[in-house]
Amino acid sequence: MGELEQKFAAAFLTEGRWILYFKGLGVTLGIAVLAAILGVIFGTVLGIMKLSFREDGKKTLWNILATAYVDVIRGTPSVLQLLIMWFIVFATWNNGVAVASISFGLNSAAYVSEIVRGGILAVDVGQMEAGRSLGLSKAMTMRYIILPQALKNMVPPLGNEFITLLKETAIVGYVSLTDLTRAANQIASRTYEAFMPLIGTAVIYFVVIKILTLLLGVLERRLRESDQR
Amino acid sequence: MISVKGLVKDFDNGKHRPPVHVLKGIDYEISAGEKIVIIGPSGSGKSTFLRCLNLLERPTAGQIFFDGEEITASGVEIDRIRTRMGMVFQNFNLFVNLNIMDNLTLAPVKLGLLSKEEAAERARALLKRVNLLDKADVYPSSLSGGQKQRIAIVRSLCMKPEVMLFDEPTSALDPEMVGEVLDVMKRLAEDGMTMVVVTHEMGFAREVGTKVLFMDEGKIIEENTPEGLFDNPQAPRLQDFLSKVL
Ligand SMILES: Nc1ncnc2c1ncn2[C@@H]1O[C@H](COP(=O)(O)OP(=O)(O)O)[C@@H](O)[C@H]1O
Ligand SMILES: [Mg+2]
Repeated sequence: MGELEQKFAAAFLTEGRWILYFKGLGVTLGIAVLAAILGVIFGTVLGIMKLSFREDGKKTLWNILATAYVDVIRGTPSVLQLLIMWFIVFATWNNGVAVASISFGLNSAAYVSEIVRGGILAVDVGQMEAGRSLGLSKAMTMRYIILPQALKNMVPPLGNEFITLLKETAIVGYVSLTDLTRAANQIASRTYEAFMPLIGTAVIYFVVIKILTLLLGVLERRLRESDQR
Repeated sequence: MISVKGLVKDFDNGKHRPPVHVLKGIDYEISAGEKIVIIGPSGSGKSTFLRCLNLLERPTAGQIFFDGEEITASGVEIDRIRTRMGMVFQNFNLFVNLNIMDNLTLAPVKLGLLSKEEAAERARALLKRVNLLDKADVYPSSLSGGQKQRIAIVRSLCMKPEVMLFDEPTSALDPEMVGEVLDVMKRLAEDGMTMVVVTHEMGFAREVGTKVLFMDEGKIIEENTPEGLFDNPQAPRLQDFLSKVL
């Protein structure tokens, strides 16, 4: 057996180590998906809040709060946000995946809110006026007319945000969660050989993201084809 | 039916520019069944006036009464008032994410005024009247401008409004499609609908209008029957305007 094969075996096969990568990938994907769900829901709420203005054109309290929230999230490192969640806010809760998901979700929501806001602003104002002129409330017009149209504008940037989020989760090692990156790191330190585990892991991330990108492309094309505008 | 008292509308132009005074005190009474046509140069405040009537624009000052109720009073449920006033826009504003049937039935169904079946039945009857029944299942993007505007009129009519507001309904249309939309409006007028129409179609104003208003710089400058206003204009600004458009 050549040296390269030996290193490969040590990194991926010995003691069933490939299972560790799989488990790590599971943690990575689990956190990313849960965070994305939270991020989209909370981000949509924030995005709508940021579009709320009073009769006289000034921002509502909701708007001010949402804007401040986004400022704070954008103005601090996400590692620090994670540490604060882990050691302060949820210090007594030891479900690491849940805490990390919430932390990344709250972070992602800030970026999603910008996407939602942009997606809504790109919808013709005449659509809202037509809805209101028929007696539909602002909320109803939002729900049945504006958001379905905005969603199509939002799919591409939301896909990008998910990919960013997926990579960002690599910092959960800071709070002792064994995601894909940390699994690789642990194996590297056990085998005194960094090349194979780290490069191998990079390939895994790359492949997963490549698949996501392709799926996103298909989704975008479908949406464009079904676009009746 | 609609009574406007001292209507003023200013638009705030941000902190550093002075507000624009768009409507400078408008008083007017519209009775049931009237067809009011509003003419005037671009930027004179016609759209703003129309949009104040259903409070798409909030008046800065003044009062508007609809059927005796002051709709500009605080606490009035404006959504409920708007169900009784239809509005047709220059750019149609059909809901692009919905097919024609859903465009027509969304508001009456979601507002709980009609069941889905009742709304669909009403929509089909009205579509038939504008000869567009075969378009029930298509999306707005596949329609011509004239078809879109006829559908937009039908969408408002599905709410059984008591008054219809039209803001330059034919201005965005290719010339060959203007007629089909005006025909629908004429039929609506014959059926007795109360209408307020901003338009540059002077033929329509003369034929259908019970009153014609000439607006300029945020005021009603002259108000008369079509014959009086077109054949015997008083204000120099109106004479000047008519000499350009007729
Ligand atoms: N939302 C707005 N903000 C600021 N100015 C506006 C707004 N809407 C209209 N205006 C201004 O008000 C004036 C009258 O507009 P409008 O009522 O649309 O006139 P018309 O329909 O007669 O052409 C114009 O000078 C226009 O620029
Ligand atoms: Mg106008």
